[in-house]
Amino acid sequence: MAKLALLFLFALPLLLSLTSLLPLHCNAFSVDRPTDRRLLVLVDDLAIRSSHSRFFSSLQARGYDLDLRHADDPGLALRRYGQYLYDGLILFSPSVQRFGGSLDLAAVLDFVDAGHDLILAADSSTSDLIREIATECGVDFDEDPAAMVIDHTSYAVSETEGDHTLIASDDFIKSDVILGDKKIEAPVLFRGIGHSLNTANSLVLKVLPASPAAYSANPLMKLSSPPSLTGSAISLVSIVQARNNARILITGSLDMFSNRFLKSGVQKAGRSIKHEKSGNEQFVTEISKWVFHERGHLKAVNVHHHKVGETNEPSMYRINDDLEYSVEIYEWSGSSWEPYVADDVQVQFYMMSPYVLKTLATDHKGLYSTSFKVPDVYGVFQFKVEHQKLGYTSLSLSKQIPVRPFRHNEYERFITTAFPYYGASFSTMVAFFIFSIVYLYNK
Amino acid sequence: MAKSNASDAQALIRSLRSAYAATPTNLKIIDLYVVFAIATAIIQVVYMGIVGSFPFNSFLSGVLSCVGTAVLAVCLRSQVNKENKEFKDLPPERAFADFVLCNLVLHLVIMNFLG
Repeated sequence: MAKLALLFLFALPLLLSLTSLLPLHCNAFSVDRPTDRRLLVLVDDLAIRSSHSRFFSSLQARGYDLDLRHADDPGLALRRYGQYLYDGLILFSPSVQRFGGSLDLAAVLDFVDAGHDLILAADSSTSDLIREIATECGVDFDEDPAAMVIDHTSYAVSETEGDHTLIASDDFIKSDVILGDKKIEAPVLFRGIGHSLNTANSLVLKVLPASPAAYSANPLMKLSSPPSLTGSAISLVSIVQARNNARILITGSLDMFSNRFLKSGVQKAGRSIKHEKSGNEQFVTEISKWVFHERGHLKAVNVHHHKVGETNEPSMYRINDDLEYSVEIYEWSGSSWEPYVADDVQVQFYMMSPYVLKTLATDHKGLYSTSFKVPDVYGVFQFKVEHQKLGYTSLSLSKQIPVRPFRHNEYERFITTAFPYYGASFSTMVAFFIFSIVYLYNK
Repeated sequence: MAKSNASDAQALIRSLRSAYAATPTNLKIIDLYVVFAIATAIIQVVYMGIVGSFPFNSFLSGVLSCVGTAVLAVCLRSQVNKENKEFKDLPPERAFADFVLCNLVLHLVIMNFLG
């Protein structure tokens, strides 16, 4: 009896420690709370901890657990025993050649493929490893290692720096989801390398393109040939939203996140307004909110369909039935699920091609519904909702339902257009009867 | 010439009428029945021409009932006609019985095909 009690006492702490490994951990990124929680920040110079302290402290104030490590740290790991230790990765280590620990290019790409988010900041000293990660995400940095983005019309006016590599840019993408609904008044300061996007890639977007007069070249040497990257093809800040809803932010300027740029004033060349504070702080705060799923994350639940007038969901419809379809869509606001309001969510009744395409009407409490008539074709159909909006997670719902033709006793019994034929047949029978009487009893 | 044509036609019609008046009454009753059946069939064909042949089985059933019963009546007429040498030995009761039975079968089929 005592031995049993001792065994139980021994087993209890073991059991408790095992449960902490299970995904019931309430602080982790989960379907119910999609905002990331644990972030791994990799730096190549621990001085970044202090030079970018405002950005990091704003993240911590929003509730993230930051784990700031040197990129060469031999204890680095993203996964342990098949579970991811972090929900998001911030790479502020542009010059790192090899990551420490078990991290490498494949590990970072697996991390993103598993649906986790990434912020990647490059610099004028970017290594091949960082360039490869960016290329795998759909973004190509300028191949010349000494090139920086130079703009002689959109530079930030300053007393010290005269080579126009410090750029003030305010040509933001127009999206309230990505950049917040408050307009960023001051331009954003940028100094670093530019990248270009593959035009065939539909998942990557330019959040901040360079002005049409910008080009990417080495500022210390004279230009011997026209630069390969020019104008608005250069992107300063880009985002990628993968099909599994992982979000990636790629930028060529680590200084954009630094305390110096966040606090400094800015005056764009050719403009007379001198802003007291650059738009950097608002820009990086809002875009990090988007990247870490504090905004623009949708979930669709409770797909229901039923015949008009009934409430249960049938397993099969008949052609020319009237049916109603409804789905509830909610948007994550950072702390709770709010009803999603949009007027362009559509449902398709699809079999190889959409036979019916209807826009769902919303009651502004998250319920989207519509009703339509099943087409005059039988087969196996799907209710498909495909909603892809800039900055929002993509919704892709599909529910299969068969549609049968009429049973032979479901046709209308008497066809109205055939009444003359019915009448003619019966009148002929009556005429035959009368004729036979008249003929037989005729004198 | 036209006048003579017109008067020829009138003379023809008059002679046909007087010849027809000489036929026995029972044959005239059969003729009336045939005319009724064919008229009904023509009405149905005109109706189909207007509306289209949507329940084609109903159309066929209706037209066939009229035409079928008209054909059977014509057979009856030729069998009971005393001037017809072919059916000299056929009793008219037998002809009428055949007529009735065939009509019953015809109308049974028509009712089934009417839909």
